Amino acid sequence: MPPLIDSLIDKQDGFEIIRDQIASILAIEIQNQMVLATAGGKDPLDWELRIFTERSNPFEQFRQGNDNKTPIINVWFDNSNFDQKKGNTVGRQNSESIFNIDCYGYGESTESGSGHNPGDKEASLEAQKALRLVRNILMASEYTYLALRGTVWQRWIQSIQTFQPPSEGRSVEHIVGARLALRVSFNEFSPQVTPQILDLLSVNINRAEDGQILVNADYDYT
Amino acid sequence: MGLRDIISADTKAILEDDSLGFGWTISLTDPDGTTSSFIGYSTDISQIIDPDTGTIVSGRLASVSIFIKSIIDAGLEIPYGISDSSKKPWVVDFNDINGNPYKFKVSQSNPDRAMGVVVLILESYATSN
Repeated sequence: MPPLIDSLIDKQDGFEIIRDQIASILAIEIQNQMVLATAGGKDPLDWELRIFTERSNPFEQFRQGNDNKTPIINVWFDNSNFDQKKGNTVGRQNSESIFNIDCYGYGESTESGSGHNPGDKEASLEAQKALRLVRNILMASEYTYLALRGTVWQRWIQSIQTFQPPSEGRSVEHIVGARLALRVSFNEFSPQVTPQILDLLSVNINRAEDGQILVNADYDYT
Repeated sequence: MGLRDIISADTKAILEDDSLGFGWTISLTDPDGTTSSFIGYSTDISQIIDPDTGTIVSGRLASVSIFIKSIIDAGLEIPYGISDSSKKPWVVDFNDINGNPYKFKVSQSNPDRAMGVVVLILESYATSN
């Protein structure tokens, strides 16, 4: 059987565009939040996040040898479901996709006056701070359609889950993760048959004085 | 001397042998700031075996093992993890094999009172000095 698709599939699918759009929104808005914090006389570093996409092990950035302990965000595509009632079998299918936005916070126990700041609590607070910023940015009214109106139908937070660190086999470093699952509804499109002109047909439509519609068609046929 | 006493004595000899054995200098500081030095076992590794799956996973794990009687003889009590942020934690210092110093907080204490050994699970701890 010969191949039937005559065009190169050289595009991003909707889920890839939206994944990258989510990361772009977060990166842009976090940058702006830092500017706003500075203008407000606050420490901009409290608003700083590092944004990644599709990294399975981003928290390696926290490991020793790297002094940057800024919370890490990883945006990754999880799954899609297609509703048969919203689309057609030929060219357009509505997709309900889940994008996981994982937030990682790092904490280290530090000396503090007559006591100390526990690293486990520090890590949890850092992860939750990152989660707070992500949720507020993505659910801001300005991003009702993730700045992709016409492509995105709806975005909605499906769930938020934090991961309790294991109490046994404790690691030297405290890293706490929180996951925001964002459900996005959008269209996916597929390659279409390239149309070929069979015959040129021209039609003039006129309305007569009495309101009658007159159609004058001009076409060649054999 | 009973068998258990022999085991305990052997354990002390093995743990505190830093000339021919794996003994390593470990500094222990209690919440009041009293510091004593011991010879014991120390580990600081970055790959461990997940007991559930048997696979190697990444994650830095540090611990020390010290003979309990040596701690008591130094005038300290058995270290324990302190969660209360208004108190100072037990602090452990030791160098790696290349002489680089590391400071840890005791996050969990697992004393074996039958053999007289305490295993301290550690987490990183930053101080101003």
